Amino acid sequence: MKHSAAFCSALAILLTAGTAAQAQDKVIKIGGLFPMSGPGSYFGVQDKQGIELALDEVNKAGVNGYKFEVQYEDSACSPLPATQAAKRLLDQYKPSIVLGEECSDATLAIMPVMEQAKVPLLNAGSSSIKITDPGNPWTFRIMPNEVMQGVDIATNAYKRLNARTAVLLYENTNAGIGNAKVFGDTFKSLGGQILADIGFGRDVNDFTAIATRIAGVGKVDVIPTYTLEGQGLRITQALAQAGVTKGGGGTAIQLGTIWLPFGFEQKAGKAALGYVRIVQFDPTDKRELVQNFVRAFRAKYNQEPTHLNAHAYDQIMVVADAVRRGGKDPQSIRDALAATKNFSGVTGSVEFDKSNQNVKMDTIHYMETLPDLSWKALAWN
Amino acid sequence: MLTVALQQTINGVVFGSLYVLVALGLTLIYGVLVQINFAHADVVTIGAFAAYFFTFTLGGNYLASIAVALVIGAALGWVVNAAIFAPLRGRSELLPLIATIGVSILLQNAMLLAFGPIPYAFDSPYSNAVLRLWGGTFITWQNLIIITVSAGTVALLYAFMKFTFMGKALRAVAQDRETAGLMGINPNQLVMLTFVIASALAGMGGAMLGPILVLTPFAGTTVIVKAFAIVIIGGFGNVEGTIIAGLLVGLIESYTTQLLNPGLTDIVVFGLLLLMLALRPTGLIAERREENV
Repeated sequence: MKHSAAFCSALAILLTAGTAAQAQDKVIKIGGLFPMSGPGSYFGVQDKQGIELALDEVNKAGVNGYKFEVQYEDSACSPLPATQAAKRLLDQYKPSIVLGEECSDATLAIMPVMEQAKVPLLNAGSSSIKITDPGNPWTFRIMPNEVMQGVDIATNAYKRLNARTAVLLYENTNAGIGNAKVFGDTFKSLGGQILADIGFGRDVNDFTAIATRIAGVGKVDVIPTYTLEGQGLRITQALAQAGVTKGGGGTAIQLGTIWLPFGFEQKAGKAALGYVRIVQFDPTDKRELVQNFVRAFRAKYNQEPTHLNAHAYDQIMVVADAVRRGGKDPQSIRDALAATKNFSGVTGSVEFDKSNQNVKMDTIHYMETLPDLSWKALAWN
Repeated sequence: MLTVALQQTINGVVFGSLYVLVALGLTLIYGVLVQINFAHADVVTIGAFAAYFFTFTLGGNYLASIAVALVIGAALGWVVNAAIFAPLRGRSELLPLIATIGVSILLQNAMLLAFGPIPYAFDSPYSNAVLRLWGGTFITWQNLIIITVSAGTVALLYAFMKFTFMGKALRAVAQDRETAGLMGINPNQLVMLTFVIASALAGMGGAMLGPILVLTPFAGTTVIVKAFAIVIIGGFGNVEGTIIAGLLVGLIESYTTQLLNPGLTDIVVFGLLLLMLALRPTGLIAERREENV
């Protein structure tokens, strides 16, 4: 009798443990590799906001019985800390998928680590072509790469803005150099002329010397600029002070990509007048999906969402979509991601090609800064 | 071409003046204590944030914010020295050096927690007001303030060191701490004074750098590396050398940007540093090194 009672107790413990393990299994563990320290940490803060909002929504009812959980690590927008953070995340947290990084150099560094571990990496913020060309089977990117953006903006500059001369201005990183090169090659192939090719480090503070040089190269039509928000602000102001750009009474138009968040114009002030840039998230987009996101974001954070918030939100939604279609572990999530078709997110649609690059161009929106510092959407795509 | 050369000279003098202000604090501390202070950069950043919040949150005048940043920098220097550096001094040469790294990390993370990582748009009322000069050259009023305040500060500091009792006492401690003590000078008070002056200069430098820098909790670190190079090029602990080296580095940066590429400015500046270490390790003004401050 004693033996059977003990047996029943052991069985009960085993069953309870089994149920608990099953409940634990119904969580999709997501790793988040974002810069939380250093000059790129504004990425991480905004990414986290978007992710947390998306988690609130998908975890209300779950997806196929799964809940989602994110563990963040600081990858610092730099290759070495990003690699260390990726290894730490894989060893300790054992995620089924990882989101990140923002900076191309860091993303390129963690790609082989993720490939070796056979865990998919979903990237939203790095533009270097090397991430998907050649890339690897485990890395996916939902934003347009530097070629998609660069060819498009250079063509539009030449054909729609009638630009014939340009000065390339970029930070000396994989992404900065790559973006500028694509613009320069495309612009020259169309018949345009590059008057100066100016790269600078992330530690440059004073852009008056650069603006002075640009003011001295002759008539410049466009200045494609590839830099993070902080330096971008100072560049825009220095160019205006030197009387080069429209914001300072000149004629040159600054061109930019999605690196700069919503609200950049308000920080740069009048100097940003006439700035034409690609944004990957348009908060004035009338789609219900976008407006619901904007409303929910305002309600949760009492502020306007940026493209970084929107990107991060979409990353979770893309993962949830993959889980909805049967993804449950790294391999099946990778396969489901590869089969993604016509996913509609707040930044646009997602459909991956063979190199795992999102091929949808509706993620590219052009905006021009008006005198009151508001945006005017340019129907260029 | 002449216009461009003149403009780049103005740009170089502006940034050189800022470098001088930051590097002077470093060289003062080294001159008196033979100690490198890695936390100096963070006092610069705190000065910038102090000026920002005084101007935009409290609605104060920007020029007054420079004085506020100076006072906050001085107070911070006093607190950090009294609480952390002073108790460690005399135990080992390495301890205060490592402590400065610790204070730097502590201050950076405290600012990250308090102010967040998103860049602040710190434009003073003078940032975008341009004064047109001869031949198409220009200078913003902000930059004019930087040159004026830096020159005034250097002159005051020079007069303080040369003509006041405290300044002479400071130089005496820098030359020979023990003998100065025997002459009735309290070295600990003078060390504290050095920290307070250096940190006040850093705070004031931050207030003027704020509208130029990308203001984040890491803003000061982008300037401090150059400031260290300036201190070495000028001659460790030598005020005159620091001033000349600061202006020289500012001009080198401007002309490298114009003639080569801004991406090469660090290579040129640190190339000069290596050259100086190889050919003249005592710095630009070597013959006065023994006097230090």
